Amino acid sequence: MESSNFIIDFLEWLLSFERNALILAGSAIGAGFAMIAGIGPGIGQGLAAGKGAEAVSYNRKNSKKSTMVMLLGSAVAETSGILALVVALILLFMNPLIGVEGTGLVLAASGIGAGLSMIAGIGAGIGQGYAAAKGTEAVGKRPKLQPAIVRTMFLGQAVAQTTGIYALIVALVLMFINPFV
Amino acid sequence: MEGITSEALVLAASAIGAGLAMIAGIGAGIGQGYAAGKGAESVGRQPEAQGDIIRTMLLGSAVAETTGIYGLIIALVLLFVNPLVGML
Repeated sequence: MESSNFIIDFLEWLLSFERNALILAGSAIGAGFAMIAGIGPGIGQGLAAGKGAEAVSYNRKNSKKSTMVMLLGSAVAETSGILALVVALILLFMNPLIGVEGTGLVLAASGIGAGLSMIAGIGAGIGQGYAAAKGTEAVGKRPKLQPAIVRTMFLGQAVAQTTGIYALIVALVLMFINPFV
Repeated sequence: MEGITSEALVLAASAIGAGLAMIAGIGAGIGQGYAAGKGAESVGRQPEAQGDIIRTMLLGSAVAETTGIYGLIIALVLLFVNPLVGML
């Protein structure tokens, strides 16, 4: 059978490398993909920062309160960025794929897949940042309700985190208990 | 096909990975721009609170910067202290 197909040619070219090189190359691309998740916290925390500035102009007397809520909410929005960073650092410095028995191509693809999976953190980051922004706005308007507002904000952020956790689970499964090998 | 070593493949993939990592900068750019816009709006509404407003805006923007810096760190690690080549 002739293999004039570009994809087959490419896969055969990849398989001409030694196994470890293939896995490490996949891990490098995966680490890069994982960091794309940083988009989410960046947008979300920026929303919170904007609402924080607005809240200070509404209610300058309580600027400390609204700034504190902004920082609390932003800290939660940071988590998916940190999780992506951890996955990237694992892929780079303590690569678990290289010691595993199995096909090199599958393990290389698992490294890329683990990184791709972490991109889901964008959603959690933006959503939690939006909650932080609205929480900051609300505390700026009615500082007396701060405990209730912060509680509701945290509750909503916890729910928004779930998809990010699912992504982390898939990434960890691909890296540590890979079902394909 | 000959002449491409395993090291070259890992380094090529590292270059792609470094570029991908920097895509994270999109978020910090959008977020901080939004904060700057709201900051300008707020100073326009209440000019006498300018100092407080700018302080809160910069504090929040500094937090929004972090994920961009994480992406930069991973890119720099991939480019300059590549740990993967040593594992070959």
